[in-house]
Amino acid sequence: MSNDFYQTSILPFAAIIIKICRAYTNSQEDFEDYYQEVCLQIWRSKDNFREQCKWSTWVYRISLNVCLTLLKKSKGNGQTYFTSDVLPDVIITENRAFEDESLNQLYVAIRHLSEVDRALILLYLEEKSYQEIADILGTNANNIGVRVNRIKERLKKILDEKFN
Amino acid sequence: MKNSIEVIWKEGFLNEKSLVAPKINDLYNQKSKHLVDKMKRMFKVNLIVIVIMAILFLIIYYFLDAIWQGAAVSVLLLLTAWYSIRQKRSIKTLDHGATSLDYLKSFDRSIKDALSEDEKILRFTYPLYFLIAMSTIWSAWNKGPITSKMYQKYPDVIFIGSVPLFAWIIAGVATLLMFYFSDRIYRWDVGLIYGRVFRKLEETIAEMEKLKQG
Repeated sequence: MSNDFYQTSILPFAAIIIKICRAYTNSQEDFEDYYQEVCLQIWRSKDNFREQCKWSTWVYRISLNVCLTLLKKSKGNGQTYFTSDVLPDVIITENRAFEDESLNQLYVAIRHLSEVDRALILLYLEEKSYQEIADILGTNANNIGVRVNRIKERLKKILDEKFN
Repeated sequence: MKNSIEVIWKEGFLNEKSLVAPKINDLYNQKSKHLVDKMKRMFKVNLIVIVIMAILFLIIYYFLDAIWQGAAVSVLLLLTAWYSIRQKRSIKTLDHGATSLDYLKSFDRSIKDALSEDEKILRFTYPLYFLIAMSTIWSAWNKGPITSKMYQKYPDVIFIGSVPLFAWIIAGVATLLMFYFSDRIYRWDVGLIYGRVFRKLEETIAEMEKLKQG
């Protein structure tokens, strides 16, 4: 991967990749692995980008796909994988990736969600329209709003239970 | 909860230093490590299976009353295991080089060298395994009334050491064929166990080289 490609096509969108990778990993080591894999995948698939969508949408799509694939792989390899409901609090609450404590807590709550719900809420929080969310996730835009509300309720409940 | 999740998100990421991208120095470092570790694990499992088989064959052949043949198979398998351990040691001393690409390349080279050495050895061991198996089958038959029945039924058949000549010829031809095709049999055998991971290694090296070129 040329330095130019990284500087111009990946680095300006690093925040997107970081936000997504953080939601799917429980340690700094995993986060860095996921981040690198996403960068590689963006580089690998750069020729497939047909400009039918924005580059940022493409980055979102690849980041989510890579994270979901890696998560699935780690499950398949029998590596320690914690599903949303059995995720030990010790692991997730010790993972303080951000300076803002409320943000760390929100990420803890997000990691308690299912893989797809995590993707959905991340895109919602990034202020993507329901149609964009549906395009990125390859789903129907009709029930996105209902699902988002349900997820927000769940997040509030988790935050109240864990941190209040 | 004081703020809505939208506010937490928005305010949390204002001036957030954690959004600085991690440095990418050696992109494939971790990936290479995982791949090599996986292959080493597979070699180890294969070695354990060979040793277990050596013990099992000895026990099975003992009950088949063919202890010498069993001992021969066990010795051959244990020699294979010993040779594999020697090869593994040479992999351990590989030069890690400056980058993970150098390491993967030298790992790939050492595996290819090991496979070609194995091919030379198996040229002899495959026919040997076959001859031992034939000998076991024949000694099992010989204990029964088969030989005497054959003498009676086919009095014209020529026997050499209580084995019919045609059986010698078939065994001889099969042994020669095994000798001739041993490299192909071995490659098929290796491909069956390690094919996927070897392909993965080659793909990774090719991709890393492409990555290096930009």
